[in-house]
Amino acid sequence: MKKWDDESELMAALGEAVADESAVTDRARTAALAAFTWRTVDEELMELLHDSAMTAGAAVRSTSAARDLVFEVEGASIDIEFSDGVLTGQVSPTEGAVLKLQRPEADDISLTPDSAGFFRLEGVEPGTVRFVLEFADVRAVTPWVRL
Amino acid sequence: MPTDVAVLVQQVAAGDEHAWGQLVERYLPLVCGLIRRHRLHGADADDVSQTVWLRLVEHIGRLREPEALPGWLASTTRNECLRVISQSRRSMPVDPVEHSDFAGAEDPDHIAGLTSAEERQALREALSELPEQRRALLLMLLTDPPATYAEITERLGIPTGSIGPTRARALEQLRGTKAMRALFPPVEPMGVRP
Repeated sequence: MKKWDDESELMAALGEAVADESAVTDRARTAALAAFTWRTVDEELMELLHDSAMTAGAAVRSTSAARDLVFEVEGASIDIEFSDGVLTGQVSPTEGAVLKLQRPEADDISLTPDSAGFFRLEGVEPGTVRFVLEFADVRAVTPWVRL
Repeated sequence: MPTDVAVLVQQVAAGDEHAWGQLVERYLPLVCGLIRRHRLHGADADDVSQTVWLRLVEHIGRLREPEALPGWLASTTRNECLRVISQSRRSMPVDPVEHSDFAGAEDPDHIAGLTSAEERQALREALSELPEQRRALLLMLLTDPPATYAEITERLGIPTGSIGPTRARALEQLRGTKAMRALFPPVEPMGVRP
């Protein structure tokens, strides 16, 4: 006995499959096609080690709406906290570190970490972002996340 | 016959934007369909979709098994949907448990017995492997409400008496497509293995 042996079951499954096509919007298509321009070849991809949005179960809902993210790659890390439009955090290493906030449809914003690696930026809109950390001759990028 | 996904992945990794367009067209229904099933709409839905495609661009040269791309897209989309849902729960002043209509209260794609995102993708690809007339017939029968036999005869030129048998042949051919055989590999006959 195999799945969809019955013709009416197969037709019902096909109906579901075809119905997915009606969920596609022009905005989604445009953004998906444009994503290609972000293709990178020679950058270190950082790993998302911690995301508060993935650890908070419904039963232990925090009263804080802050989002905590930790990215890491060999020799470098970025800690991010985002709450009410304020982005704060710390990078490592600190020596000559340059941090940028990127959005798919906007200019990069430079965040200048202080001597201890701390940075702060106000007036940050929610949306899809990633961070680029440059130090020595390394250029490390985080995965895209939705703040 | 659609281009093999492994070929498209390789072309995109080498910088072929046209191949990227083909990948997007093929898998947008998978991503957008899953987002809708998590009951996300508007800006939330757009953000999730955009994040998934940006992640794919970033990962495309690192995919070990290009054939597993539908599964990769499905799990990345699910994770992004759950992140959005979790965040909106945290910042919501009301208890989501009391609001049964709350987005993504359950993940409908994981309920046993339902058609999974990967299965629906394979079914769409199987349809695209069929000859034009058979595919058109099935699509007309799949509209809600289904097209009448008179409409089918007028549009596709299939005599009314042949519609039932043609539908049966189309479904039989669909079961034998590359996409369906990949989804359900044939069971080995008894006694083949020692």
